[in-house]
Amino acid sequence: MTLCARNVTLELGAKRVLSDASLEVVPGQVTALVGPNGAGKSSLVRLLCGEIAPDRGSVCAGGLSLEHLDVRDQARLRSVVSQSVAMAFDFYVDEVLAMGWIPDPAEPADYDVARSEVVEQCQIGHLLGRKFKTLSGGERQCVQFARALLQIWRDASGGGVDVRYMLLDEPTANLDLGHEALVLGLARSTASGNVGVLVVLHDIDMAAAFADRVVLLVEGTVAARGSPGDVLTSELLSRVYQTPVRVEWHEGLGRLVVLR
Amino acid sequence: MARRRHFSTPVNSMDAVFGRPVAHNRVAVPKQIRYRTPAVVALAIALGVAGLLALASGAIPVSLGDLVNPANELERAVLVEIRAPRVLLAGCVGAALALSGAALQGLFRNPLADPGLIGVSSGAALGASVMIVLGGGMAIASVVAPYVVPLAAIAGALLVTWFLYLFSARYGQFSIVTIVLVGIATNALAGVGIGVLQYLSDDAGLRTLTFWMMGSFGRATWPTATPAVFLMVAAAVPILLVARNLDLLQLGEAEAMYMGVDVRRLKRGVVLSSAAAVGAGVALVGIVGFVGLVVPHLVRLAIGAGHRHLLPGAALLGATLTILADTLARTAASPAEIPVSLVTSALGAPFFLWLIARERPR
Repeated sequence: MTLCARNVTLELGAKRVLSDASLEVVPGQVTALVGPNGAGKSSLVRLLCGEIAPDRGSVCAGGLSLEHLDVRDQARLRSVVSQSVAMAFDFYVDEVLAMGWIPDPAEPADYDVARSEVVEQCQIGHLLGRKFKTLSGGERQCVQFARALLQIWRDASGGGVDVRYMLLDEPTANLDLGHEALVLGLARSTASGNVGVLVVLHDIDMAAAFADRVVLLVEGTVAARGSPGDVLTSELLSRVYQTPVRVEWHEGLGRLVVLR
Repeated sequence: MARRRHFSTPVNSMDAVFGRPVAHNRVAVPKQIRYRTPAVVALAIALGVAGLLALASGAIPVSLGDLVNPANELERAVLVEIRAPRVLLAGCVGAALALSGAALQGLFRNPLADPGLIGVSSGAALGASVMIVLGGGMAIASVVAPYVVPLAAIAGALLVTWFLYLFSARYGQFSIVTIVLVGIATNALAGVGIGVLQYLSDDAGLRTLTFWMMGSFGRATWPTATPAVFLMVAAAVPILLVARNLDLLQLGEAEAMYMGVDVRRLKRGVVLSSAAAVGAGVALVGIVGFVGLVVPHLVRLAIGAGHRHLLPGAALLGATLTILADTLARTAASPAEIPVSLVTSALGAPFFLWLIARERPR
């Protein structure tokens, strides 16, 4: 049971954005998608979201092609957090949060319970009564994350066995260090609940810190995939980014760090 | 590969969200949001009061007690045959305009999308004019006759709304002010069409057209009002039903799709329904300006932007204010009558200026 793109090729206009790329989002793991600008990261995410269809290859969730799922079924299966969202009208944060809730007549779950749990986990209780437009960038991303979490929330009595996915397209763009760690920490703990998390990251060091698996996309093809230790090497990153990059083991942090 | 340690975060665990139940407190709903439903109920009561007030006032004043039980035949005739259809029509047109305004603003994600400003009302006027001027020469069965002008108006409104939507889809989402500029162009084009029709029409047609263009609820009778009311109610229901989807659209079209909204169907529904609501009203009473702009904003200021409360709130307040404006129009200089669009524009235009000042980029 994974969400996967198999040998997808995508052409936008005359430009081939992705060629023969494959990627797998595994439940319980955080997969980081990294690569230089214009490598096709966002296009790959849009394919996995079902927003666009590949020219060749297929996108499947649990063995079933996304084309056979209607938008509502897809919405119950995966949620998406994109870069900052601009809203024309002054919604309350609580209203923005409620947008994530998909009522299902066949399976009435208690909205109040779900909302309370998500609010507590993301620690946005103090923001609920404020207008969304007045929030800082970091606060907005936390609210968007909570909204996405609410979208794939399941009743605890179901045992939380349902496989679900969360796709984050550069969720930390324009965030300060603290909020970056907060949002990625939320993604990390979300994955522990049988959720497959895919996160597009610009900051490779963040991928080293938070991801279980890393996929390196270069010019529309997968250049490397595997554990951070396998993919994030000084030699490969220096070549791909065309600038000297050093990857070292940091004893104090107990993890790989990526230096430039 | 050595053990991995992650940044510590303020998040303790996701147990509560995914799987194992954890004791927790319900998070309270903020008070700003809790009073939205009572506010909508209050608006409904206000509409009732305004309706009674409008029925009671006029050239022949009727006491509130006599509303239920008219004192004589004249009072009964005035109430039932003249004022009741007029108040009903004013309420429905006001509700339809405010509701379409709120829905179009949500669809375009633009606070200045008013059916009048962006040219939807002009499109409806053009459609209606075509039938008023040229319809006389057609053989139309008497059963469908009352629907012909409204349907032509709806077609005109639909044409403009659809054009605006394609235009914004092709050239990127309208910035807040661009939509008004496009509206100026659309209004001018519709004006050309109406001008040509005036030039082409014979004396009788020109007279009908001129009277109609002045806009008034004064010609409301049961046979003319009923089809329009029917069409407006039929158009309002689908708009009210997509309130949640309009909320989701505010995060962006892609985001709405991610949350399970069939965006194309939503757009089609809102375009069609708001065009129908505006067209049915314009066909009968001409253009009533600014209701669709002012009312949704007042409701947003009072109870927030969530469409589930905004849409019914706007419909109720639109009906209330239009009934009051019409009552003012027919009583202020009684027995003469001021055109109702004069009253709504006098109140709406300054409000529009204030909105532009408020919405300008800071």
